[in-house]
Amino acid sequence: MAMLEIQNVDKVYRSRGKAPVHAVRALDMAVKKGEIVALLGSSGCGKTSTLRMIAGFESVTSGAIALSQRRIDELPPAKRKVAMAFEGYSLYPPLTVRENIAFALKAQQLSRSEISRRVEAIARLVEIEDILDSFPRAISGGQQQRVSLARALVRDADLYLLDEPMGQLEPQLRAVLRGRIKGLLAERGMTAIFVTHDQTEASALADRIAVMEDGVLQQFASEKELKNRPANLFVASFIGEPPMNLLETEVAAADGGFRLSVGSDIAFQIPGDTLDHAARQALAQTKRVRIGIRPQKVAVGTGDVRVRVVSNQWLGDQSHVAGECAGHLLIAVTPSRIAARPGDVIPFALEPRHLHIFGADGACIRHAEGG
Amino acid sequence: MDHSSLAGRIFRGVALALVLVFFMFPIVWILMMSFQTNEQILRIPPRILFEPTLANYQALISGHLRTTAGNLEISFMRNLMNSFVLSSAAVLLALLLGVPAAYAFARFKFRLGESIAFTLLSFRFAPPLLVLLPLSLYYQQLGLNDTYFGIVWVYQLIALPLILWIVRGYFEDISPDIEHAYRLAGHSWREAFTRIAVPLAGPGIAAAGLLSFIFCWNNFVFALILASADKQPVTVGALAFVTASGIQYGQIAAAIVLSVTPTLLLALYAQRYLVEGLSLGAVKG
Amino acid sequence: MARLELNSVGKAFGAVRCANDLSLIVEPGEIVAVFGPSGSGKTVLLRMIAGMFEPDEGDILVGGRSIIGAPPEHRGVGMAFQNFALFPHMSAQDNIASGLRAKAAGGEVTSRVNSISRLLKIEHVLGHMPRELSNGQKQRTALARALIGNPEVLLLDDPLRNVDAKLRYEMRLELPSLLRRSSAAVLYVTQDYREAMAIADRIAVLIEGRLVQVARPEEIYARPASVAVARLFGDPSINLAEVTPRAEQGALTAEVAGTRVRLESPDRQPADYGACWLGVRPDDLTVARTAGEGAIPARIVAITPMHERAVLLLRFADGIEWLAALPPDAAVGSAEDSVFVRFAPEAALLFDRASGLRIGLPPRRQAA
Repeated sequence: MAMLEIQNVDKVYRSRGKAPVHAVRALDMAVKKGEIVALLGSSGCGKTSTLRMIAGFESVTSGAIALSQRRIDELPPAKRKVAMAFEGYSLYPPLTVRENIAFALKAQQLSRSEISRRVEAIARLVEIEDILDSFPRAISGGQQQRVSLARALVRDADLYLLDEPMGQLEPQLRAVLRGRIKGLLAERGMTAIFVTHDQTEASALADRIAVMEDGVLQQFASEKELKNRPANLFVASFIGEPPMNLLETEVAAADGGFRLSVGSDIAFQIPGDTLDHAARQALAQTKRVRIGIRPQKVAVGTGDVRVRVVSNQWLGDQSHVAGECAGHLLIAVTPSRIAARPGDVIPFALEPRHLHIFGADGACIRHAEGG
Repeated sequence: MDHSSLAGRIFRGVALALVLVFFMFPIVWILMMSFQTNEQILRIPPRILFEPTLANYQALISGHLRTTAGNLEISFMRNLMNSFVLSSAAVLLALLLGVPAAYAFARFKFRLGESIAFTLLSFRFAPPLLVLLPLSLYYQQLGLNDTYFGIVWVYQLIALPLILWIVRGYFEDISPDIEHAYRLAGHSWREAFTRIAVPLAGPGIAAAGLLSFIFCWNNFVFALILASADKQPVTVGALAFVTASGIQYGQIAAAIVLSVTPTLLLALYAQRYLVEGLSLGAVKG
Repeated sequence: MARLELNSVGKAFGAVRCANDLSLIVEPGEIVAVFGPSGSGKTVLLRMIAGMFEPDEGDILVGGRSIIGAPPEHRGVGMAFQNFALFPHMSAQDNIASGLRAKAAGGEVTSRVNSISRLLKIEHVLGHMPRELSNGQKQRTALARALIGNPEVLLLDDPLRNVDAKLRYEMRLELPSLLRRSSAAVLYVTQDYREAMAIADRIAVLIEGRLVQVARPEEIYARPASVAVARLFGDPSINLAEVTPRAEQGALTAEVAGTRVRLESPDRQPADYGACWLGVRPDDLTVARTAGEGAIPARIVAITPMHERAVLLLRFADGIEWLAALPPDAAVGSAEDSVFVRFAPEAALLFDRASGLRIGLPPRRQAA
């Protein structure tokens, strides 16, 4: 049973003297109870508008939003049973951190001891126990963000909305806090939607990720699915760090399969039996396709693609090697150190089974095997 | 606001109209008065429809005022000219002094800096009458009484604090890094000031200049005490219409229209420029 | 070309000392990253070199000549700012050329602007005003402006901070070769340890106004000078536990959450260890379902996939939380499962609890 249901929602901003902005287009999404969902996209993709429509700070232009089977899109924010952590924190300046967190609990008429128990517990979780009696202006940005998170998570709500919840957190704390918050949400069966532009954060926290671009939901799936089976070229190039290597190739039928070539330097033989019927037809009808391969799938030191090393950077736990071949930049990521220096010519291996193939319209023709 | 109801829209329209009438009525009424004779103006009840006359303007421009008590010589055009000269000179001087000072206050922290800035602003708090008596005594001693220079100087009390405080805010809004970048590119601080800081604070400087021009133009009491007839601005010159044979409402109205028009046009023109300048987001880079 | 030399530079603002006895040499053509948490004094350091304010103590030399007291425009220093600091009322072209106008004639200016913008791939936006540029283009314009005058010292103040992730990655690949073309001595301030490791020849770690370690990136990662440095490098950051190592039958061991684990015995007598921090990087942990000697029992709190790895938040019996970064396909169960955590003795770093300094360990992680 869906906890939150967004049905065919559109959002159009009209302001006088300017062309209307279609921020969200025909959005359909269902979020299950206890699920953590990320709205991921670059700025202006419609993710924040979507969150604000769910919270009730923006009206929906058309469509419906239902939470626990209640239609909420006409309700004022306070009656929607949602808790929200704002990107700008929005802490109440005259209240201490403790009072800020307890604020909504007081309205719920809980006993004083219950309130203090809950505040202490959530404060321990986000490591703000020793600043509970400080005022917001006296604490750092990272601490303010943690207070804002605590204030949202301490409430009882049907849905938790978090706007860029971890962007300002101290880097050393980020990974642990992500784990703790994910653990807390799972343990209590809380349903949460958060907005982020950082895919590391999205994949760390979310069960499913909604990738948005240009107001349109591109794909709504688990991180693994997004990586292994991207619906289109946009998702393929947007998801993954560093981004997928993309090459424009020419298509020719060969040996019962297809030969994809980039100039005379790189060529791949795709056996016909690895393609389904639709893919075979799509390839037969086109002359050019885009192929993509994840940097993590490019092997260094073997293979038949010879590249001139442009940069070779060791980041402590992995090497990022950028090599140029026939005017294209290929990036390989390996867990081991590579001895090559800029200017050296070394082999890269790009295996046909690791290739994603995209048609001219950006739709995916074939996914790589096993991602 | 795509959901506002019809009633809401009507209410908003009416409210706007009321506010508009409240603010525009005096101006419209003065404009109408300026085309009427004294008799027409003093009619009770007043009429909206009348036969316009240019006599008031004629009298002002020619300088001959015909009243029931005989002919009066008035120097309205001279007053108008004086207003221009005095206000422009005052604003120009205030800009020359105030803009660098504002920059100094915005960029450098120095001892007593805030106190000095506040003292300058406090000139605006005191009623002009407070300083007038000592000032006129000084002026007589210094021989500045009844000179253009003397009046321009005393107008600094009006213009300088305004320019200083408005422009200072604009300078503070410019990221110092922008100027640092220009200096690191091999330019002296003087060039950074004239080529970066001043152009970027341009809208602010224009606003401050305009505002102080209007304040100077509207000043009455300094010029009344410190200047004789041939150096008085329109605000003082308008007193001439209170004659032995009564108050010349028509001429006063025409004089007001003539003296308001330049500042009004300036404000309208500059407003457009200001809005453009500010919406450039120039300062944020 | 000239080297940049800082000699015991100190600076205080009121009671806050943001630079304390800083000494550093940057050779021409070398890129040194100044890395540290926010508020550690990185920007103050750059600004002293640029001449926006003077140090209270010490000397700054460029090519052996002191630049203390010289105005910014005479220091031979170029700088790119985090907020770009482009001149909003000038086109990109004029912004870039402003670095040259003071030095070169008209025709030469145009040709040099063209060549540097070709290098930075912004030729197509030269006519645009800064407000019409994307953040990436703004930063490239700012870099071009800093590079065009061929400064002897190039200061980059977190230049990729306000650029989106994809562009930041591209610039990270491109920047080292771009910066080396100029053969300037480069100081590169960043808050991102990966950026520092990717771009720099050496990293100067600045914490609370002091340089705590200056070394090559791999050296710092493998042999951090102190626990504070260790915590700054690595994402997720290093796991720590309070231990008091003990020598038993010639082997060094420590108790972590009730389990005795073996440590590698470094270069001094085991008996010398007092209270220590034990540090183990998340990618040096292995997680299994089965118990065994030296395996610490733990509960999985949550699994957060990250950087192509599965990151597990583990809670030990005594409440301590550690993170383990495992290969993405490692089948280790799910949240709430009980597991056992191990690490190799040579993966453990020991730091003195009182001073935070690392207790010498032999090198690990040889180059492949």
